[in-house]
Amino acid sequence: MAEIRDPIAFELFKNSVFSIADEMALTVFRTTYSGVLKDNMDYSTGLADGDGKLVAQGLTLPGHLGSVPTALASIMRHYGEDMAEGDVFIMNDPFDGGMHLPDIFVFKPLYHQGERLAFAATVCHHTDVGGRVAGSNASDSTEIYAEGLRIAPLKLYEAGKLNKTIMTFIERNVRLPVKVFGDLRAQLAACHIAEKQFAELVARYGPDGTKLYMKETIDYAERLTRAALAKLPDGEWSFEDWIDDDGIDYGKPIRLFVTIRKTGSQMVVDWTGTHPQVKGAINNTLSFTKAASYCGVRSVLPQGIPNNEGVFRAIDVICPPGTVGNGVLPAACAARGLTGFRMTDCMFGALAMMLPDKVKAAGDGGNTGISIGGYHADRSPFIYVDFTCGAWGARPWADGLDGNSHMFANMASHSIEVTEAEHPIQLLAYEFVADKAGAGKYRGGVPFRRDYRFIEEEGTLQVRSDRRDHRPFGLYGGSPGRPSENYLNPDGENRVLPGKLTMTVKRGDVFRHVLAGAGGWGDPLERAPAAVLKDVRNELLSPAKAEADYGVVIDTARWTVNGPATEARRAALRQARSWPEVPKVQREDPVFRAPPPARRRA
Amino acid sequence: MITYRVGVDIGGTFTDIVLLGQDGTIHTAKISSSVGNYADAIVEGLTQLFQETGLDGSVLEEIRHGTTVASNAILEHKGARTGLITTKGFRDILEIRTLRMPRLYDIAWTKPPPLVERYLRQVVDERIDAHGTVERALSAADAERAVSGLLAEKVEAIAVCLINSFTNPVHELMIADIVRKRAPALPLSVSYEVLPEIKEYERTSTVVVNAYVMPIVSGYLRALRRGLDEAGIPARLLLMQSNGGLTTDTAAAERPMNIIESGPAGGVIGAQALARAKGLKKILTFDMGGTTAKASMVEDGEVTRAAEYSVGAGIMIGSRLLTGAGYTLKVPAIDLAEVGAGGGSLVWIDAGGSLQIGPESAGAAPGPVCYDKGGETPTVTDANVILGYINPLHLVGGALKLNAGKAKTSFAEKVAKPLGMAVELAAYGAHQIAASNMIRAIKSVSTERGRDPREFALFAFGGNGPLFACGMARALSMSRIVVPPSAGLFSSFGLLYADVEHHYARTFRRLLRKADLAEIEAAWTALARQAREQLKIEGFAGPKARLRRSASLHYQGQSYELTVPMPDGPIDAAMVVHLEEAFGREHEKTYGHRAGPEEPVELVAMQVIGMGLRDGVGVPEQVRSSRIEPSPPPPRPAYFGPETGWLETPVLRRSDLAGTRAGPLIVEEYDATCVVPPGARASLDTAGNIVIEL
Repeated sequence: MAEIRDPIAFELFKNSVFSIADEMALTVFRTTYSGVLKDNMDYSTGLADGDGKLVAQGLTLPGHLGSVPTALASIMRHYGEDMAEGDVFIMNDPFDGGMHLPDIFVFKPLYHQGERLAFAATVCHHTDVGGRVAGSNASDSTEIYAEGLRIAPLKLYEAGKLNKTIMTFIERNVRLPVKVFGDLRAQLAACHIAEKQFAELVARYGPDGTKLYMKETIDYAERLTRAALAKLPDGEWSFEDWIDDDGIDYGKPIRLFVTIRKTGSQMVVDWTGTHPQVKGAINNTLSFTKAASYCGVRSVLPQGIPNNEGVFRAIDVICPPGTVGNGVLPAACAARGLTGFRMTDCMFGALAMMLPDKVKAAGDGGNTGISIGGYHADRSPFIYVDFTCGAWGARPWADGLDGNSHMFANMASHSIEVTEAEHPIQLLAYEFVADKAGAGKYRGGVPFRRDYRFIEEEGTLQVRSDRRDHRPFGLYGGSPGRPSENYLNPDGENRVLPGKLTMTVKRGDVFRHVLAGAGGWGDPLERAPAAVLKDVRNELLSPAKAEADYGVVIDTARWTVNGPATEARRAALRQARSWPEVPKVQREDPVFRAPPPARRRA
Repeated sequence: MITYRVGVDIGGTFTDIVLLGQDGTIHTAKISSSVGNYADAIVEGLTQLFQETGLDGSVLEEIRHGTTVASNAILEHKGARTGLITTKGFRDILEIRTLRMPRLYDIAWTKPPPLVERYLRQVVDERIDAHGTVERALSAADAERAVSGLLAEKVEAIAVCLINSFTNPVHELMIADIVRKRAPALPLSVSYEVLPEIKEYERTSTVVVNAYVMPIVSGYLRALRRGLDEAGIPARLLLMQSNGGLTTDTAAAERPMNIIESGPAGGVIGAQALARAKGLKKILTFDMGGTTAKASMVEDGEVTRAAEYSVGAGIMIGSRLLTGAGYTLKVPAIDLAEVGAGGGSLVWIDAGGSLQIGPESAGAAPGPVCYDKGGETPTVTDANVILGYINPLHLVGGALKLNAGKAKTSFAEKVAKPLGMAVELAAYGAHQIAASNMIRAIKSVSTERGRDPREFALFAFGGNGPLFACGMARALSMSRIVVPPSAGLFSSFGLLYADVEHHYARTFRRLLRKADLAEIEAAWTALARQAREQLKIEGFAGPKARLRRSASLHYQGQSYELTVPMPDGPIDAAMVVHLEEAFGREHEKTYGHRAGPEEPVELVAMQVIGMGLRDGVGVPEQVRSSRIEPSPPPPRPAYFGPETGWLETPVLRRSDLAGTRAGPLIVEEYDATCVVPPGARASLDTAGNIVIEL
């Protein structure tokens, strides 16, 4: 505690500095034009010190944690001391500090009497940045040059003067310039708020006090992180998981492999062994791989550790260049969200080996991206982009959540009625699907399906889904969830579609997506029969599956558990299964030596 | 004969009753809330006041009531066994919610359980499109089947919410008809009738909450009415709504969704009235009790309202950015920011060596260390006792004895020593950090909405509000603080200032320039008729019924709307021009720019507020408590920070504040303590408010 000069003043400073980051985030929220920012909260704000070290990040999107320092480092590399009051920087180039092209960074250096004390930082996912597919999110581009406008670190404002050339370049290269400009203004407004409030902070604490307490804020987060890490066991744990394919080389799985090494109060997250970068647009930047790594580790640390550089100091992330976790030019990366999600699954797997009682099984695999775009008869464009996910893996103490955003991207769903009022789309179903959740003492989250009917003449449907061939794993005896599904016209031809696709749709076509079920945790034969009964009663589990997976026999006339029949059934299943030991990880359904006997009348 | 109006506010631990006579006399009572039977507590409290004052039920003209009965039923999941009927394919809208959660990185997050279990959610095979066209007609047989299914499950209430029903209610009304025929007495909540607005999750959730609390609220109001009648109190009963307006007990029983956040509204409305009377255009209200602190903004005499909020979301710890907790209600409510900071909040040191306050609270049991009832962890109240702000011997006029020595020992050992500071410095730090946490609530209703708190006066009430107000105002560079009379009972006192008010809204999407204006006119007229009819039932007709209209608009293609007030008059071309211009101006104010005249403006929703204007004058300008103030305690040393150190500080009664007095001083009252630091000046205005200038 001796490091903190005045603990009271420090606490007050820390409150203020995080309040600035949050207030920036609320400014974006209040002034944005687009649903991506408002509903999906796909943006982040923060305050860094004069050297670009992150002091405070607002509470919006875990997927962006770690992105600001990388982007600021690039600004520093390019401009060094060629920077002055009134400058504002803009950039989105994934190979020069960015993440993927829709994420545009806007930074403003903040000065006090000529000295640079801080940076206000914002990053927002924009509705469209041009490229070959509307929404700039396509998973089937094979090089960055097809994905849209690539902006190197540039001065959008120089000494307070707007560079109109940059704005014109943007305007002529994106599909909805009004929205993009509206959201850029939101980012500038957030930087302006930060500048004003930071000046008040400097007035109160003085420039030296401000510098000292910014450093302290980082050190404080580092102390909290290290204190928490020190309580975890030392050692090394590895885990692997797969993405089905990249949507270009169909059926060719992509391996993600992580090793976590923990010594004392330091952790290393090493992705060496991960698949080389791929043709499809799912290559991560290192900053995104870092965010996925931090997300996993943070979920086993106590709540309330501030988001800043101090956390990064205690967690090293390694990923060799040229891999799918650290792509190099000309890797396409627009749809790299998928790789980030699978990396968090991988992190949970590795952490579950380290801390069996603390970590959840695999969820549905993260967002499925569905976009439908085209032109109305009057040639005006429409772009409908939906990211949806919702089944959490089971926890060692509770079922997985049904219908809840993935931890890596805390997004909200769009209202169906608003979608129907604004887009040539109808939703025909948005509901849970029974018998897909992985069985377990605690079952995985129940997935849902969404049916989209297209009601314009013609459009392009683009889907990025996964977890078809490689199911969400179960842990410590829990079964994996059932795979995801895609269909065209389920009530007609019911054609099975691949996990990743781009196709033309016509008026009346219905696309159905069913999420993968989440993995279970613990032996299903130990699940409380009352919990099984509840799921059957709620039609999330069929009586047949209750008996086959859980050995629970239910009297559906009276809604009761048949106790003796259940005991007998469970004993038979236990014998037929004959686990030498409880399997730590299950990626396929458990195998029974003898086929289980036919169902008896209760 | 002097007649009285009554304000009754039920809190978690205390029920506060205020009787206000036409002559400005106030009688107050603070009694323990008998959990499980709040109605009895009210009748008992009134009876007790009658005994003390010699009054009887015949002099009461009106009882105004703020209640947490509905929100408690939701928090404790003790509402009705409710069934829901919805469109096939959308059985799980209620449970899937918006997917977002209020916590990041939290594996242990648990969603609030749905208020209707899945097996009580019936679907019907029907479909209406976004424009109101019936794509798939609902068959009578299918509707009957769904209703029968729920009745067979012995549900105690039914909610009905179909996709796109706000554009065409035909199928919902068909189902409602069947329910009303088959089970006429069963509480029924139909989305088109209670909330004809777009967004299926928000609408479903609201309609379900309404049904879920209906039997509880109507049962409670019936019991209360019966109790009042038996005690010879014929006065009519009005309920405070979440929006700050009053409604009758009958209307509240039919639409209990409007009274869920009834509790905290009274104080804000009271502050609004006092501010109007003082000619203050901009105030921030600050209400701090034992476990939480709440802030809100009143601007140009108007309270700010949120169009939707969550009930049971827990206390905002850091940020308004994180949503997804609790149960969503799309009903206008006074916009309050709440933080978990009160007198009972625990003071502790975290793993990083930082001093922290709350959000855990010592509650009523064991309470702060100084209560000497077994509490061992220091609290904010203990810090205030050490600093000399709170009377070291007792609280609530002597009803609660304190042990200051114990507070000091515990603070020294658990906070001061680990931090390596003197005990008063540590206590002062804890006081400041508690203030800084509460400042976040104030900021979230001011700076986060683009308002500069320096332009506002701080209205402080609740038992602890006046104790922290000056320090907080100073940190925010605010220069004026107002502490109203009966500050500790202000939530019930404020009820006396409220008016009858009903809010109606409807989604109605049309491009203004291309719209059939007669159609818009008709829709608006229908809403106005609804408002007028309700007011008429409550005895407000002719000039006593006033309507206000507003419109929510956006540029075509925008995802979000802005709401602008709409003048009276026909919906014609001139009105369209007016609305487009008003929207453009509001857009510029909010976003800093507006589009050119070529951008078409779309009407998204229409609103009508119906107000019942009361007879004669409202609250008398001067009020005085009938409670005899005891002679004040002697001066005591109080600590105001390292620069001034300990200062001998006079302790006064409110009535002793003749002329302007310079701080430091402490105003000690039965229900609250007000601290005026050095450098501040305090005086009493004609309305009995303490006004402090910094």
